[in-house]
Amino acid sequence: MSFQKFINSLKLRTKFMLPISVLVISSVFAISSYLIKSQNENMRTDLEDKGIMMLKIVSTSAESGVLFESEYELNELLERVTQFNDITYAAIFRPDNSLLAEAGIWDDSNIESISPFIDEDIIDEKNIDSLVIGKNGKEFLKMSHDITTLINTLNREILGIRAGNDIKNQSQVVETIGKLIIVISLENLNKSIYESKKTAIVITLIVLLLTIIMIAFFIDLVISPIKQLVSVAEKVKMGDLSQKADLNQSDEIGHLADTFDNMVESLRETRDEIEEYNRNLEQKIIERTLELEEVQVQLIQSEKLSAIGQLAAGVAHELNNPLGGILGYSQFALEKMKKSSENASEPIDHSKFIRYLTDIETQARRCKTIVQNLLRFSRSSKSTDFRRVDMNAVVEDTCTFVEHQLYMNQIELELILSDKLPQIQGDAGQLQQVFTNLIINAMHASPQESVIKIATRFSQSVGEFAGAIEIIVSDKGSGISTENIKKIFEPFFTTKQVGKGTGLGLSVSYGIIKEHGGEIRVDSTVDEGSTFTVILPVQNIVESPINQVSTENQ
Amino acid sequence: MLKSVKNEQMKKNILIIDNSEIIRNLLTDYLDDLGYGIEMAVNGQEGIEMALSRDYDLVFCDIHMPKKNGYQVYCEVTEKKPQLPFIMTDSLPDDLADKAVDKGAFACLAKPFSLDQIEEVLRDIFKRD
Repeated sequence: MSFQKFINSLKLRTKFMLPISVLVISSVFAISSYLIKSQNENMRTDLEDKGIMMLKIVSTSAESGVLFESEYELNELLERVTQFNDITYAAIFRPDNSLLAEAGIWDDSNIESISPFIDEDIIDEKNIDSLVIGKNGKEFLKMSHDITTLINTLNREILGIRAGNDIKNQSQVVETIGKLIIVISLENLNKSIYESKKTAIVITLIVLLLTIIMIAFFIDLVISPIKQLVSVAEKVKMGDLSQKADLNQSDEIGHLADTFDNMVESLRETRDEIEEYNRNLEQKIIERTLELEEVQVQLIQSEKLSAIGQLAAGVAHELNNPLGGILGYSQFALEKMKKSSENASEPIDHSKFIRYLTDIETQARRCKTIVQNLLRFSRSSKSTDFRRVDMNAVVEDTCTFVEHQLYMNQIELELILSDKLPQIQGDAGQLQQVFTNLIINAMHASPQESVIKIATRFSQSVGEFAGAIEIIVSDKGSGISTENIKKIFEPFFTTKQVGKGTGLGLSVSYGIIKEHGGEIRVDSTVDEGSTFTVILPVQNIVESPINQVSTENQ
Repeated sequence: MLKSVKNEQMKKNILIIDNSEIIRNLLTDYLDDLGYGIEMAVNGQEGIEMALSRDYDLVFCDIHMPKKNGYQVYCEVTEKKPQLPFIMTDSLPDDLADKAVDKGAFACLAKPFSLDQIEEVLRDIFKRD
């Protein structure tokens, strides 16, 4: 991970704390270590100065003792010297390095090591000091000073002359007559240095702690509103737009929070508007769907009426012939009856009369069937009216409508109806509409003197259906091009002349068959003919014979 | 009324061309009762063949029929026998019936017609003779 990445991965608090802490710690350490160092040096210098003073005084005091080699006097003197703080040992050596007197103890028993004349190097110009480390690791400062005398003075002493007025006139030749050594223990010094270091460290730590606490406090002041803002933003992200940061701060973060609150506010307003709009939209969609369903019903009805219009001629023809028979035979019978009642020589031929009346009844029944059939077909069904339906009857009823037209177009209709069809649940009127449509389409496509075949059959399995009735309408007509075959179920698609078709027949038929849970399949070859197969599933049959209602009685 | 018609006619032969069985039967019963000789054809083609092969005094011909409609029958027959009178019957108002009348068919009776109408037409036709 690169440094930049590492920095970016740090939390804001760490980002603030890290450099500030480093800065504070390093500066506090730098300052305190400088102070400690300079204090150490001062204390050391103090000690040395005292030592030098002591050396000078003692060496002067020791002059006569050395001159006279008065061990007792010197011992006394050194004994007093060692009474002073920190001075643990004092000794006077002769110029030949032999010990003249000593006092105090020094744990380094090897006196040679402090012999002033052996180790010339450790005596500096000022004869001041050298650091000696004792065997137990204690530090000592060894200081030495020459004990000097003036030869003349010596002479005079020897001569017993004590007057000193003429001394100044004597040649000032200084003779070193011995060496004073004192060893100062640095233990106390070190102790106090240690103490002051300790104090300094404690103070440093306290300062550090206070600094860090202060920094943390201030950083918290900066960060906690940001955190609050973040938590509000999180909630907003989850969709709770009622959240507000409400920091009430006048600094930049406060400004940010205000801006954020305003943003959330306008977001909420926008969302509410959208939701309101969506609700309206849903309402509108429901309304439109209802309207569409209404239109769909109307469409089915108008397509039906269009089919009826096309069939009207056939129906009229179908009705007018039996009506003609009824009218004619009733008139004829009436005339005969009148004549017979007027003229007894012309008796009523009962067998003829029975035939006339039978014909009248038969033809009247035929009219009734046609009218019923027509009414069933044209009935406006707001909702599908599912009853038990015999598909063979539906096909036959449909044929009575179209027979005439086929007849007129010199097209033969061939019915191959299976006698093993189970009944299905369906709307006979709507199903008739489908077959009327399919037959009229076949008729329009067929040339004169061709045959339209309608077959019904039951299959245990057709495609996805387990048990279905297939009604196959096939013609030897012009067929449908591959380009058009995709569009034939689209509303308003027609290849017929204006006035011959609405373009709704197949689309409405498709809707009706879908409503029955079935499907329509098309197989067509241009110039060879088309086969439409209507598949109606039979899984919804109720086998109870009591409920069986034939289409005839509906 | 029936009697008067019967007296006037001298066993005239009438051809009935109609694909409707009930109409054929009715006309047969009625005209037979009036004393006419009746023959029947069940479609246009058969009607033409019969009308051309035998002599008839009158043809009842329906307009809407399979295998040649009434107008075609009228045209083809009157081409050979222009004097043969035709009474067209029609279960629907149709241009073909009007065209036949325009070309000289004696009358067109719209189904369902009453026997009075037939009687009237017959009287008109055979009065001329």
